[in-house]
Amino acid sequence: MLRINDLHASIGDKEILKGINLTVRPGEVHAIMGPNGSGKSTLSAVLAGKDTFTVTSGEVRYQDEDLLALSPEERSWRGIFLGFQYPTEIPGVTNVNFMKTALNEHRKYQGLPPITAAEFLKLMRQKMEIVEMDPAFSSRGVNVGFSGGEKKRNEIFQMAMLEPKLAILDETDSGLDVDALRIVATGVNRLKRPDNATLVITHYQRLLDYIVPDVVHILYKGRIIKTAGKELALEVEQRGYDWLIKEL
Amino acid sequence: MNDLYTLASGTPNRPRFNCRVPLENSRQLFLVDGLVQETGKSFSFRLQKGQVMEELLQVIAVRSDEGPNELTYSNELFFGENTFGRLLCCAHAFTQGPVSTQETVSIQLEANAQAEIIVMQHEHNEATHKTRFVVNQAAGSQLKMVFLSLHGASIENNIEVNLQGEHANCDLSGLYLADGQQRIANHLRLFHHVPDCQSSQLFKGILDDEAVGHFSGKITVVPDAQRTDAFQANHNLLLSQQARIHTDPQLEIYADDVKCSHGATVGRLQPEELFYLRSRGIPKKEAELLQQLAFAYAVLEKIPNEILRERMMEMVEKRLRGGC
Ligand SMILES: Nc1ncnc2c1ncn2[C@@H]1O[C@H](COP(=O)(O)OP(=O)(O)OP(=O)(O)O)[C@@H](O)[C@H]1O
Ligand SMILES: [Mg+2]
Repeated sequence: MLRINDLHASIGDKEILKGINLTVRPGEVHAIMGPNGSGKSTLSAVLAGKDTFTVTSGEVRYQDEDLLALSPEERSWRGIFLGFQYPTEIPGVTNVNFMKTALNEHRKYQGLPPITAAEFLKLMRQKMEIVEMDPAFSSRGVNVGFSGGEKKRNEIFQMAMLEPKLAILDETDSGLDVDALRIVATGVNRLKRPDNATLVITHYQRLLDYIVPDVVHILYKGRIIKTAGKELALEVEQRGYDWLIKEL
Repeated sequence: MNDLYTLASGTPNRPRFNCRVPLENSRQLFLVDGLVQETGKSFSFRLQKGQVMEELLQVIAVRSDEGPNELTYSNELFFGENTFGRLLCCAHAFTQGPVSTQETVSIQLEANAQAEIIVMQHEHNEATHKTRFVVNQAAGSQLKMVFLSLHGASIENNIEVNLQGEHANCDLSGLYLADGQQRIANHLRLFHHVPDCQSSQLFKGILDDEAVGHFSGKITVVPDAQRTDAFQANHNLLLSQQARIHTDPQLEIYADDVKCSHGATVGRLQPEELFYLRSRGIPKKEAELLQQLAFAYAVLEKIPNEILRERMMEMVEKRLRGGC
């Protein structure tokens, strides 16, 4: 589904990703952990098509296409979804209008007619329920004045609306209280299907209690320095990253 | 028809213009080259003491082929004591080639009168339109004006407001959209002559290509005008490297117990917002449009009438999509 091959990316003349290799198959859950500043958000942003980063070499294949040749919207239409670590506030654009526009663009790509207003409202209600979000949020500006946890729920709500094939969740668990963590994790699990895959970026083992990964990768200074099963997350939580760095 | 308000009468002319898409609960009146279509007289609108208008009066000023290239005219809007009235004043040009219009509008609000006036300027690329609005407000009167400058080679609005009676309230806002070689200027002068009045001015502009905008606003608070509450803001969005805006908000305060704020900003589309929208599948052009509409919304939401607001939002969207 996704194959990253020796990916290098920089910002200005600072190289941040220094040769990433990663393969994700349908149905898999991969966790990416790593110290602050190791390049986790950069990797997710590059996969979603953010142009502040320049890919200097390497390639990314997604469903037999050259992912890097596609614009962010084209990637979205093909099923890539990035749950932002810091969701952007967009004053003046309401959540409803935002999601309706987004959904209809997806439908257009799929050759479907625009959704009717009634159908849309129904769908939105359903999906908001998954993340236990108050319907009042729909008429507010996108993420404007949302608390940290509300923003994260809004990300999962959007994910539920767009039903991605490959979801990249960048620290969706950070800043969530215990209940919100459970709600968000349950939401993600409910969207799980055998033909989609999830990349979860996290600092904490506790999320992985809910969203159980098949593989855990450790990213350090722009490289994946270790890949193992889910027990690696627990080990990192207990021992930190030093022992892994020393092994290098 | 039950005539609540009076309009100057004269010899009826054969109507040449009519409205194909009238707004609900509204009445249309055409000003052809500065004169009322049916009467051939200049436009004078008077609401007498206590009159409350249910309908919206749409005054459609058109420039026709028969009018002079350079036209000067004046109108009068009078709102007597305890009246309520709503007007939508539109300017269109049904002529080819260059025309210029100079328009003076005097607006008088007597004690406790309430007025809502939407001004929409929608001429063409060779039309020059210059206005001068002189507003006088008596005690307890409330005026809300929204200026939408959508199309014209050069538009210049000069707006002077005199708050002459205590507890008068004046809320002015404007949205100007310019591209190509268009020029748009708004010059505001606001005088707080007496204590306890409120004024607010919010003007926002979106400028593309080589368009040039000017904004100057000056609020004067005289020494006795205590407890004045005055707000002024001018925000601009530049869509191209060549577009320019000159903005000059000013305060001149001679009273000590006042609440005044003013500010101006010049910005560009936010790349972070753009990426967020695009990452959800909204194409670049649409995402940019959403951002522009979001920017414009703060002015459009000032239009109290919902149907009119929707109509104006459609026009703004069409304009931002490059139509006219
Ligand atoms: N816009 C930018 N300009 C300059 N440096 C940047 C920019 N974005 C990221 N970086 C740098 O790239 C490196 C990787 O950042 P990134 O956000 O990918 O880390 P991360 O692994 O997600 O960290 P965290 O766990 O704190 O979220 C950091 O050193 C960061 O300072
Ligand atoms: Mg990060």
